[in-house]
Amino acid sequence: MERRKSGVGVLLVVLLLSAFPSAHHSFGAEYDANNPITLTGVLTNIEWTNPHSHFYLDVKDSTGKVVNWKFEGYPPAVLFRTGWKRDATMKPGDTITVFGWRARDGGNWAHSREITVPDGRKMFFGPPAGTGDGGNTPAVEVK
Amino acid sequence: MRALIAATAVGTSLVVAVLSGQGAVPRAADGKPDLTGVWQGGSTQRGNWEEANGGTGVGGTGRNPTAPVVLSTNDRPAGREGAPYQDWAAKKVLEAYNRRGIDDPAGHCLPGGVPRSVILGLFPQQFVQTPKQIIILYEYMHTFRVIPIGGTHPDDFIPSYMGNSVAHWEGDTLVVDAIGFNDKTWLSGTGTFHSEDLHVTERYTRVDKDRIDYEVTMEDPKVLTKPWKLTSSLMLREGTRLEEYICAENNLDPARYEQLLKAGVKITR
Repeated sequence: MERRKSGVGVLLVVLLLSAFPSAHHSFGAEYDANNPITLTGVLTNIEWTNPHSHFYLDVKDSTGKVVNWKFEGYPPAVLFRTGWKRDATMKPGDTITVFGWRARDGGNWAHSREITVPDGRKMFFGPPAGTGDGGNTPAVEVK
Repeated sequence: MRALIAATAVGTSLVVAVLSGQGAVPRAADGKPDLTGVWQGGSTQRGNWEEANGGTGVGGTGRNPTAPVVLSTNDRPAGREGAPYQDWAAKKVLEAYNRRGIDDPAGHCLPGGVPRSVILGLFPQQFVQTPKQIIILYEYMHTFRVIPIGGTHPDDFIPSYMGNSVAHWEGDTLVVDAIGFNDKTWLSGTGTFHSEDLHVTERYTRVDKDRIDYEVTMEDPKVLTKPWKLTSSLMLREGTRLEEYICAENNLDPARYEQLLKAGVKITR
């Protein structure tokens, strides 16, 4: 029985490695996977739009000045299917913490991956770093 | 005799399903496997959409940092051989890769084509099967395929993003033959372009209640050196409904790429 179980486990790992689910615009071109950022601030607006959702966060910089940041993530249907609720999970006025990667031009714009929402849960809001940019290996052999 | 073969096939799949602890393959009135349902491509996880994707996060580690990273259709999965492009064409694929996929037709909200629309997992697809045709609705870019079973391709057609498909049954496998594509989609991976001569053969085998094994062969003598074969799977997502996805609503990305390039920001490899 134990042997059978471990066989299933190996098969599952192989299958997971061969999976290739998501797809879309190149986050990796716009955002720098080597420049992660975590910010806490007050949510000012959410745009539940396609192809991507956006939200805005008032964040105090090191001098105490409030700077408005823009974040990009998955489309609304993708988020609602995995547990997000409009006007409930987070809404303007809430304080949230966002983990993501900064825009390549260094502006106040970032790709959001994980959000700690007001009830303390960690929810994903966008894909992993580099999604859509072709990954680590081109589709063809490099000669 | 045919009835006996059909009964044996039904019996065999039932035994396999019972032995593996999975539900039996639902059958249509004509005895064929019924593929009707809402499916998620590129997944092996059982359960409803939230169970299969919520914990790990669609396309990645999400709330579970130990979960394996699931790749985008723009990425080449570990262990997969390089796509068999002719040398000149491979250079073109590599150029698109080095431009980090900013030339992706989907970035302009254009249809995903085949097999990309089938193997991507971020959006569901719905199969509606009747004895004479199978209709597949893709939430991604709002595309559809109406596929006659036992039909033949028309003599002439205007090349299109999703092509012209006909199907037939080989035992319990639905075999879809698709031609008539334009050359404006990517197959699977950044820059994987093709010509209007693309010929796609897909094999859909529902192996148990929750899972369809998917095998696709792409032939295109103008750009490939030999047929390119990929395998994947589609998982049943009971309770999921297709939602609206109006990609053109707020598509900021192409303008953003242009803005970054104009400002001299290095966004390519």
